[in-house]
Amino acid sequence: MRYLWLGNYLLALLLSACTPPANRQVGDPIRIRWARDPETLDPLAQPNQNTVEAINLLHAGLLQLNFQTSEYAPALAEALPTVQLLGDSLTQLDYHLRAAATWDDGRPVLATDVDFTLKLLNCPGLPNEGVRSQFSFIQQLQLDPTDPRHFKLMCRGQAPEYPWVSGDFPILSEASLDSTHSLRQFSLASLQRAAQTTPALLALAKHYQALSQGYYPNRLPGCGPYRLADWQPNHSLTFERKATWWADQLRPAPLVLQAHPKIIKYIILPDDGAAVLALRRHELDVYPSMQARDFQRLKASPLAQRELAFYSSPSYDLLYAGFNTQCPALRDKLTRQALGCLFDPAGLLAGTQLGQGQRTVGLLPPSSPFYNDSLPLPTYAPAQAVQLLRQAGWQFVAGGWRRSPAQRLALSVRYRTNEETFETVALQFRAAAAKLGIPVELRPTEATTLNHTLHAGDFDVFVRILKGSPLGFNFEPVLHSRAVQEGNFGGFSSPTTDHLLEAIVTASTAARKRQLLRKFQVQLREESPLLPLFFMPYRLAADRHLSHLLPSGLKPGYSAAAIISSGSLPAAARK
Amino acid sequence: MSFWWVFARLGRALLAAWGIASAIFLTVHLLPAAPDEFTLGDPSELGSAVSLRTSASRQAARQALRHRLGLDEPVFYLTRTAGRPVRWQWHGRHNQYHHWLSLLLRGNLGYSYRTGQPVAALLGPALAYSIPLMVLAAALATGLAIWLALGLANASGALTGWQAVARTLLTGIQALPLFSLSLALLLLLANPDLLNLLPADGMSTDYPPLGGVAWLASYGAHLVLPLLSLVLAVLPELTLPLEATLRQELRADYASTARSKGLTSWQVAYRHALPNALLPLLTSFTGLLPTMVAGTVVVEVLFALPGTGRLLAEAAATHDYPLVIASVLLTSIARMLALLLADVLYFWTDPRLRPSL
Repeated sequence: MRYLWLGNYLLALLLSACTPPANRQVGDPIRIRWARDPETLDPLAQPNQNTVEAINLLHAGLLQLNFQTSEYAPALAEALPTVQLLGDSLTQLDYHLRAAATWDDGRPVLATDVDFTLKLLNCPGLPNEGVRSQFSFIQQLQLDPTDPRHFKLMCRGQAPEYPWVSGDFPILSEASLDSTHSLRQFSLASLQRAAQTTPALLALAKHYQALSQGYYPNRLPGCGPYRLADWQPNHSLTFERKATWWADQLRPAPLVLQAHPKIIKYIILPDDGAAVLALRRHELDVYPSMQARDFQRLKASPLAQRELAFYSSPSYDLLYAGFNTQCPALRDKLTRQALGCLFDPAGLLAGTQLGQGQRTVGLLPPSSPFYNDSLPLPTYAPAQAVQLLRQAGWQFVAGGWRRSPAQRLALSVRYRTNEETFETVALQFRAAAAKLGIPVELRPTEATTLNHTLHAGDFDVFVRILKGSPLGFNFEPVLHSRAVQEGNFGGFSSPTTDHLLEAIVTASTAARKRQLLRKFQVQLREESPLLPLFFMPYRLAADRHLSHLLPSGLKPGYSAAAIISSGSLPAAARK
Repeated sequence: MSFWWVFARLGRALLAAWGIASAIFLTVHLLPAAPDEFTLGDPSELGSAVSLRTSASRQAARQALRHRLGLDEPVFYLTRTAGRPVRWQWHGRHNQYHHWLSLLLRGNLGYSYRTGQPVAALLGPALAYSIPLMVLAAALATGLAIWLALGLANASGALTGWQAVARTLLTGIQALPLFSLSLALLLLLANPDLLNLLPADGMSTDYPPLGGVAWLASYGAHLVLPLLSLVLAVLPELTLPLEATLRQELRADYASTARSKGLTSWQVAYRHALPNALLPLLTSFTGLLPTMVAGTVVVEVLFALPGTGRLLAEAAATHDYPLVIASVLLTSIARMLALLLADVLYFWTDPRLRPSL
């Protein structure tokens, strides 16, 4: 009898352990799905989006993205910087730091901290190689001897985006990392020019590495709203709201400085299927970047609809097909235009994204003020493709398209393997090309070798995603001749386009930028080095009791710190 | 079997593991995609609105990164020039292989390219998840396989009842890839639309206090699906050959003698046939390791377990060579030790096989 009781007790315990969590209460952790571990929380490294998201909880920048407006808003800075153009090649940005801004140890955040951080981004021996070039346009920080919270950034060149992008990096505490002020003896420009290896710099790099900021961020005071409470690599990260945070005293609290959840827990679930089940079992609260098929299936389920809220917004990530312009068959624009007519963006958008993305005429989203709406959207037009091929000198003879006895139109398409969307695009293109008698070979390629293969020119057409941002008006990395061995995979090179791209970057007024960008979109259509298919959507499913997620097209698609929990679900919803 | 024999075998096992790890070290450095691609990010990303990452600036960043990681040194003591005329160059001790080997001899497995952390610090916690899971799965699978094989072998004539069902299931499971099997279990047993019985992940984020019965229950509940997947993955390959061998042994004269003495069929099978049937299968049992390692990759990804399988898969996908090489080294050492164990068990159970040293 005693054993029976023990058995019953153990069975009851096991069943209770198997039961999904009970109704949530206000103050319960917000559990968010991540597909991968951030690997490091080093503010200088930031190798992936999850690291960036975590760093934004631990640290603060001068400016931060407002997910509601998709614009930068002041965070540590009191306001957006005032801009002064100096001559025709320099920009001066005037910043004031908030008087309330302090580090965890109570010290104020000062202009010297900003100066120190900018120099640290260029200090040799640190894992800053990825971000170093992003802020290379800032060549000097001028301190104000009369006001420790006031400084000016001297920027090389002139661009309307300077005020925003100049403040988008986490500020670190000089007093904690460099108490002897060893970096002050170096100018920012000298650190940018050459990798210096003086003993002072080496000692600083050694000290920074020894602190293991990437794994123990709490060893240094931060000025963000959260501290890392627990990190089980490849499993979960828990962030705890600081009991007192300097921004709590701001009235009214700016949206970018609001931090509501007491605990934010990121749970690493690599498999999509398991993550959907965890969401359904209330082991997760927020599932960002959901696949189209899972999103559709959940939306169609009456039970899931009672429990979950669904959000979808177009992102700034563009799915596009690129052509190898160095390949003899694709060197002329008419052939590229013809092949562009064989893609079906509308059908692909409906088939792969349930119609939730946005088609576009160029590299800008339709919501952009610089979007050229006078251009028609690319469409599937096989008849036009045939016409263009003939204009380009191709003739259909002996079962294939030939321009000369030696030149036959046969294509290979490269794309990242195990990506349904890419594969669907490639299959659709192959089917459309086959109808015209153009043989197409599909070459799905492993992600790690794809870039290398594209750089080697071993392809005719590729399909990939171009990651953008609301301020992503600089298309030099994709189309400039100087980027041929880097992001310009198609090898496109044209002096006219180069000039136009450079002019866009340096356009000093919005009106001029608009004019140039509209012209660029026309030229892109004309030259067709690539074909924009559509902007991908960000899909988000979250427990219904959560609000103020600020779903957005900006990465990661929501604001974790802004989430408000409105308590437990109604009992009826659980049935 | 002497101490020296075991010692010599151990030495050979370590040499073989070192050879395998060295081969992997040299091979991965011949791959076209370098690890800096992952650290420097996508070259076509439009994140920066104002700075062009030209070939020159990216090249400079790449050079700085390679210098920091020690990748700017030659790979081996001797290298061949790329162009013509072909020339061989001796680099002395200043090469990556020498540094790796020197660290290894001091017990240091190197540093991860991605995170900069010591590889041992990454592998240690991961092993703490994977080893208990693999050992438990291997023990359960072995016990279950013996029990099932005895049950199946004892059936006379055509299989009926549970034995027929078990045989059909085992054959069916053997044909299923592990990923499909695990996914099917997940969708069946952790699905609010079907049977909402078990947690979807293999490890909770909110375990009760360590050591208590509640902790054990919670730990067990989360472990059921990963464990079941691994056990089912190896069960057919253990059970079916054992059943065939047992059937053969039960037809032998000594089994008939035992039966004629009045022993039940279970007693004959368990006491007399099993020890003989197990002998040829010792290698299969000790060779479970490779299957388990391959299985943990799938199971740890699907059930979000932070073990070595997942760590190895992610390191391979991102070309984090130090981590890949260390994982290969550990796996090969474990495999060699398993083979050594198989030999020792053979010699222990059958003295005729013992080496004469």
